[in-house]
Amino acid sequence: MAKLTLDDLRKLRDGKKQAMNQRDPEGKTAQVIIGMGTCGIAAGAKVAFDAFLDEMEKADVTHASIKQTGCMGLCFSEPTVEVKMQGMPDVVYGNVDEKTARRIVRDHLKNKTLVSDHIFDKPSTDIIKD
Amino acid sequence: MHATLCDLMMDLVQNSVEARASEIELSISETGHQIAFSVKDNGKGMSKELQAKALDPFYSDGEKHAHRRVGLGLPFLIQTADAAGGRVEIHSEVGRGTQIDFTAQADHIDLPPFGDFAAAATMMLSQADGFELRILRSAGGESYSVSRSELSEVLGDLNDTQNLMLMKTYIRSQEDNLRKAG
Repeated sequence: MAKLTLDDLRKLRDGKKQAMNQRDPEGKTAQVIIGMGTCGIAAGAKVAFDAFLDEMEKADVTHASIKQTGCMGLCFSEPTVEVKMQGMPDVVYGNVDEKTARRIVRDHLKNKTLVSDHIFDKPSTDIIKD
Repeated sequence: MHATLCDLMMDLVQNSVEARASEIELSISETGHQIAFSVKDNGKGMSKELQAKALDPFYSDGEKHAHRRVGLGLPFLIQTADAAGGRVEIHSEVGRGTQIDFTAQADHIDLPPFGDFAAAATMMLSQADGFELRILRSAGGESYSVSRSELSEVLGDLNDTQNLMLMKTYIRSQEDNLRKAG
């Protein structure tokens, strides 16, 4: 690929934005939050992040945004990913490797079914106030 | 231990964000037989005493997790440098910020692989909070820089998945160019 300039990037973005506005006028309704403390990084948070991005592009999921946070206190089950979505319970998934990340995009974000075998109900109690 | 050098960089940048820095600079240079990177921030900084404690894998300030007794970020970094003929230097001052320099022998057999920098940079640049992150990258006489403010000016919301893809493509093209030249 030729080296892109910021202007090239701007043009690419304008093209995408137009296509997206036609298809998805309601805006973002889902959030994917990936833990990236030392534990998350060591366990492969970057691989999960990359898989989410790639699968969302492939599955044409445009209603989600991806955010990051530090350690959620579930180091033993990293990479951990929290998914918040309208009409679905807030869920924390554990041991999210590449394959699981792709399943979360297809099943949870797209088809609104939970990926049951990777669910933790809540982040660890020492950082959750309520 | 972290699998790649990119993972170490991500960890350090995450530290700077958690130290509430508003300006962070990550520079990475590969010159001949040496690879070096440094992370400089204007976050809350560490006293001499705290700097010494931070090197202990069984120390954590307990702010984020009250019962935790380990802190592995900096110990992993030092372990990697030690294993690969390099060193880590920490300069920090309370209230002014921290700079951490890592060097290693690029051709050392125990140096972890570099990793996918485009993906790592995309994660680092799209973290929450309103900080500025500048990345300066050089290898074999070629260089480029990218900053969070310029990307967010061009792309808008940096958590939007389409924008994240574009950001990664953009950084990947810079990396490819660097590799070709090197």
